[in-house]
Amino acid sequence: MLKLLVRRLGQMLLIMAVVSLVLFVVFDSPEFKKQIAVNELGGFGVRALTEEAYNNWLEQKGLNVPFHERYIDWLGNILRGDFGFSFEKNTAVGPLLAERLINTGILAFWVFALMIPLALGTGVLAGMKEGSLQDRAFSFISVFTTSIPEIATAIFLTVIFALGLGWLPTKSAMTQGFDWRQLVLPVATLVIYDFGYVARMTRASMAEVMTSQYIRTAILKGIPYSRVILRHALRNALIAPFTVIVLQLNWLLSGVVVVEVFFQYNGFGKLLLDAALFGDIYVIQAATLAAVFVAVASQIISDVGYTLLNPRIRFG
Amino acid sequence: MTSNDTPRRIHPKVHEARDLMNRGRMSRREFVRIAALLGLSAGAAYSMAGLTPAFATQPGLPFPQDDSNAKEGGILRVGMQVQRMDDPATYSWVEMSNQTRHILEYLTFTTPDNVTRPMLAESWEASDDLKTWTFRLRQGVVWHNGDTFNADDVIFNFERWMNAETASSNIGLSTFAAMVEEKDGVKSMIPGSIERLDDYTVRLHLTKPVLSVAEDLYNYPTAIVHRSFKPPFSDNPIGTGPFTLSELRVGERCILKRVKEAGGKPFTYWGGKVYLDEIHYYNFDEDNQLTEFASGNLDTIYEFGIEQYPLAEALDGNIIEARTAQTVCARMRVTEKPFDDIRVRKAVVMACDNSVYKDLVFQGRGDIGENHHVSPIHPEYYRLPELKRDVEGAKALLAEAGYPDGIELTIDCGNTDGPWHQTVCEIMRDQLKDAGIRLNINVIPASRYWEIWDTTPFGITAWTHRPLGTMVLSLGYRSNVPWNESAFSDPEFDKALDEAEATLDVEERREKMAKVEKILQDAAVMIQPIWRPVFTITTKRVHGFPAHPTQYHQFNKVWLDS
Repeated sequence: MLKLLVRRLGQMLLIMAVVSLVLFVVFDSPEFKKQIAVNELGGFGVRALTEEAYNNWLEQKGLNVPFHERYIDWLGNILRGDFGFSFEKNTAVGPLLAERLINTGILAFWVFALMIPLALGTGVLAGMKEGSLQDRAFSFISVFTTSIPEIATAIFLTVIFALGLGWLPTKSAMTQGFDWRQLVLPVATLVIYDFGYVARMTRASMAEVMTSQYIRTAILKGIPYSRVILRHALRNALIAPFTVIVLQLNWLLSGVVVVEVFFQYNGFGKLLLDAALFGDIYVIQAATLAAVFVAVASQIISDVGYTLLNPRIRFG
Repeated sequence: MTSNDTPRRIHPKVHEARDLMNRGRMSRREFVRIAALLGLSAGAAYSMAGLTPAFATQPGLPFPQDDSNAKEGGILRVGMQVQRMDDPATYSWVEMSNQTRHILEYLTFTTPDNVTRPMLAESWEASDDLKTWTFRLRQGVVWHNGDTFNADDVIFNFERWMNAETASSNIGLSTFAAMVEEKDGVKSMIPGSIERLDDYTVRLHLTKPVLSVAEDLYNYPTAIVHRSFKPPFSDNPIGTGPFTLSELRVGERCILKRVKEAGGKPFTYWGGKVYLDEIHYYNFDEDNQLTEFASGNLDTIYEFGIEQYPLAEALDGNIIEARTAQTVCARMRVTEKPFDDIRVRKAVVMACDNSVYKDLVFQGRGDIGENHHVSPIHPEYYRLPELKRDVEGAKALLAEAGYPDGIELTIDCGNTDGPWHQTVCEIMRDQLKDAGIRLNINVIPASRYWEIWDTTPFGITAWTHRPLGTMVLSLGYRSNVPWNESAFSDPEFDKALDEAEATLDVEERREKMAKVEKILQDAAVMIQPIWRPVFTITTKRVHGFPAHPTQYHQFNKVWLDS
């Protein structure tokens, strides 16, 4: 187990190093430097610059230093906990990233808090009796909701509940401080999109367990049906969904871009899009490190959890 | 009439203009505009023209009259993109300048009636040849740190704008272009172009006559900063305006509060009464502003697009529409294949019908563009014969140019003003198909587009409103000017434009513009489909909200019902 952890963490550092270096190389091209200039000075402004003035500007921004030097500097600063400075937002990247991650964390917490019971419940109910009416109904709903893109769900919900009925705010920018009502629509959008996938995984796992020998034996022995399900079936049926749910963490971090931008929610996803469009290199770097960290961490959690839950699997 | 309403000398061109007006050769409104540009106070110009001012201001101030019903206090909440406030001289977005305009002010101020009035300047005079301009500065203006505003601040700003290291786009404006020289590829200010006569008087020496000096000084990157300025502005926001920056979070919020004290003394704003306590800008992208407004969390927004008009009509608010000279040009770069062959360009232009966009895109609003970038709302606009669509003619020209089976073209579209750019391209695509021209639309993010706007062979670029037709032609179509995105170059055109620019008589200038417009239209460098209107909306509790064709925010006299 320890060996697994060490190996995974080693891999993580390697991925981070390679990805950040690649990003630095990519962003070192004259095209990307021009992108930053255009975003700062505007297309008309950059066009009005002479060659010399443009080079002066690059120097002011510290963009004409060779990228390997910038990379070494950046690496040293990261080790000291300094994530650099955002060109677009005129602020230190570290605190900005932390705040946005917390905002997305709040969103993710509520998504999980609603999705897990919903998905497991429907999945178990559907998988208990394969082919029954309730199985068909739940499966249909799951496939249906998963196949609608988040952006469409977001628009439908906004038109119905915010513009039509006027029950909820249309956007989630939290301009007057935190307001739970502004969380409802983005959370609902993500839950509707994501729960069907987890529910279908649960259903498959449950259905498989229900056909196994020991369940049949238990039922034939005359143990009450409810007890068979709760005591015998669920324990084994929930192993596979557990790993799927933990891996949703990773999906949520990237999948949240569309929803955050649509609802103007100031989280990690919106930060990432802003930075990508602007060419805000230090924000992109820091966000990438965070994304790699979450990806690897969620894999470690799901692997470790799986071995603990399933005695037949042993790493090591 | 206060004493500073009577200039010491009336410019001879004002007399000339008055004669023209009296002979019916110049409209009264145009006379007021010209007289004000030449340094006559707006009040005097209006009374000379025998008009009641269309935008009643207080004597000596560029702001509207106080409203006796106005209530003091309150917070105005505005939905707009919240951007960085780095260096006002390099601002590239009107939004940035809107955040700043409540803190920093300008030498002049163009009010919604299109008349340019004194702001931090108190008056100005031009020499007869329009090459020497003397600005008298307003006295009693205090910076937020307690310093007194004077000539040193103005000279500091002019020198900054024209310093190549500042990288300001102001250098492209006629006034400043007439104050710089280029040596070995470096542009710099000609020494002595701005002269300090005393603490409150500066004089500009231009290399050629410019009429639009006062107008150029209200372009959004010409805000006057304190003589100690170092970017970023948001770190040390010293201004002369009634508000100061209390919090800026780019992409989230910009909070402005009233200035209470300056350098330890109570602060008195030079511009009279201001009603609002605070102005809050909240970050919403263009497509989200109106939907947030619908939730009732905002009092007004920066703008909404035509595609949202039905939603705006359904809401309880006042829609404010301004007719503008904002436009898009689907321009072809004449140095790139296949557009280096004028027959191809002509075929593209002939296959299009500019009259349909007004109805298809803007529900009958706006004005039809005529491929020469002069708008019907410009005073010197000359009406050329209507453009006729000619599909057969286009096919014939293409065949002649060596494309008997038609041609495939790609236009880059960045939707920099909203999704309607793409709608325009799609309509063009359908029209061009009839002539055998297959148009691909390459849709890219706005920021990407601004990287290639000046070099792509075929692209659709947004141009903002400018009060004179000659201004935009000078910026965009003279040979080798930085913003000449079509690479169009014609000495004939340049000469005709010089002549038009040097003519004060609007009738005469209009006659001269006929040639200018014709040359540009015949060169077939662009399809310019529409002059677009701009829309915004306020709640019913907002009063005194000015509609401005360039969407400049100036909220000194805005007040809120509780």
